[in-house]
Amino acid sequence: MEILSPAEWEVLGLSLRVALASVTLTLPVAVGVGWLLARCDFRGKLLVDGLCHLPLVLPPVVTGYLLLLAFGRRGWLGPVLESLGIRLAFDWKGAVLASAVVAFPLSLRAVRLAIEHVDPRLEGVARTLGAGAWRVFFTVTLPLAAPGLWVGALLAFARSLGEFGATITFVANISGQTRTIPAAIYTYLNQPAGEAAALRLVWISIGLSLAALVGSEWAARRSRNRQATP
Amino acid sequence: MTLTLRLQRQLPEFRLDVDVICQEPVTAIYGPSGAGKTTLLNLVSGLARPDTGYVELDGDVLYCSSQGTDRPPEARRLGFVFQDDLLFPHLSVDANLRFGYERVQPAERRFEPGQIIDLLEIGPLLGRPSQQLSGGERQRVALGRALLSSPRMLLMDEPLASLDQGLKSRIIPYLRHVRSDLGIPILYVSHSVAEILELTRQVLVLQQGQVLAHGDFSVVSQDPRVLPLLDEFGFENVLPVEILNCKESACTARCGDQMLRIPFCDRPVGTRLFVGVRADDIILARQPPEGLSVRNRLQGMITEIAAVGATRLVTIDVGHPLVVKVTPEAVADLALAPGLAAWCLIKTHSLRLGPEID
Repeated sequence: MEILSPAEWEVLGLSLRVALASVTLTLPVAVGVGWLLARCDFRGKLLVDGLCHLPLVLPPVVTGYLLLLAFGRRGWLGPVLESLGIRLAFDWKGAVLASAVVAFPLSLRAVRLAIEHVDPRLEGVARTLGAGAWRVFFTVTLPLAAPGLWVGALLAFARSLGEFGATITFVANISGQTRTIPAAIYTYLNQPAGEAAALRLVWISIGLSLAALVGSEWAARRSRNRQATP
Repeated sequence: MTLTLRLQRQLPEFRLDVDVICQEPVTAIYGPSGAGKTTLLNLVSGLARPDTGYVELDGDVLYCSSQGTDRPPEARRLGFVFQDDLLFPHLSVDANLRFGYERVQPAERRFEPGQIIDLLEIGPLLGRPSQQLSGGERQRVALGRALLSSPRMLLMDEPLASLDQGLKSRIIPYLRHVRSDLGIPILYVSHSVAEILELTRQVLVLQQGQVLAHGDFSVVSQDPRVLPLLDEFGFENVLPVEILNCKESACTARCGDQMLRIPFCDRPVGTRLFVGVRADDIILARQPPEGLSVRNRLQGMITEIAAVGATRLVTIDVGHPLVVKVTPEAVADLALAPGLAAWCLIKTHSLRLGPEID
């Protein structure tokens, strides 16, 4: 007996692909914004902070609908993207965007905290040793914040795997395109005799999420250990 | 070396306002905690900006608010050594040392790693992660790292403050090497007079962001505004002596035309060195005392009595000015006054052996 049917394998593969792409998209932005919030003081910082955390508390349906308004085919940016040959609505890339937006606040929190914990005087001493601001960022700040970056990446990965509301609102539930694990479970539960398949995906979902959380906790401990040493 | 500093910056507690020209190879910046010493170094290094100001090192303008010149720290070529060594925790000792070295054009490098590693005796540490070093080792690596960035000047912010006394005395010879053998000028922040005098006699006294005095320590320390500051950490007198002979537990040394018994030190006859004695370790007498175990009695004349809080600092000229801390009652009972003769009693073991005189 096969462990998973071909359709279920497809769902799993798509979910992992969407989650990985979502992390790849969200982490660099989280690092940039995290550095800005951790190291700079500027007008409207609270507002930026609030906006970044909005997806954490907004109903996912609202996030998905806003994405539809912005990036849908008739949305504000849809035609521009279309002319560039990028289609987001009802496409797996749209699922990536939805996951990335929803996962962003989680990774931002972890990354910002990690950067705040890097002693600014280490960055200062690196400057006096002749390293420019960018070099200091890449050779001192980022390596020291690395465990926190892992925490952020794994949390974003786990959150992306579980993304349902925003995704289904923005890019619907299309087999092979946007049907990730949560959407597939939802679909199976609405089918007669789909419960067994749903349950298999539920177990996979639990396993993946748990692995990501354990991984992020392990990275968080490494980060604390590193900061504890003088 | 000529370092011109004109710096103004409003701080939460006071206004930092410094206008000095430093020309000695080593200038010490002395002052109580929170006097603005660290801020001053940060402004020189470019890690912080003054409100207005001007910084020039050997004709090279590093900062000028009126012309909009503001060299970033990485372009100033000033080596900074902090109180906490601030080694990069994610890098090995070797990588820490090379961090600044690799940023310098090969043609502009003043030292090679091997030379500095030998001088600071850090060869055995190279492969170790920086977290596994002891305090003294860390500070030597931090010093080496700064030197290998080929700085035109070193800025040192209480580099020994976090080390215990034993380690301090082991690091100081390295600093003296840097000063004398490598010829790198140093701006040295400290609140320990003893430590400063190991390196230089050129002192700039800072209080509440203002320069109280600037010049040779023997002159500066007699300034009535400076004396109370020196006393805050236990004023330590420093006397130059010359060793005459050594026997078992103690040595005899000459201080001016008077004799001192100092703790045993394994140095040849004729060696000239500094000895330190704290102002509150000296007993003052109006007559030459009899029947005391105290070995040392230096005769002199009272030149000044300064009121510092609830104590009095009496300066006695014993060939060199010697500051003695007494209570106001003692001043009254003994009828101490400038111009009177006095004897300073010092136990041999209250004398601390300092560095040799260059």
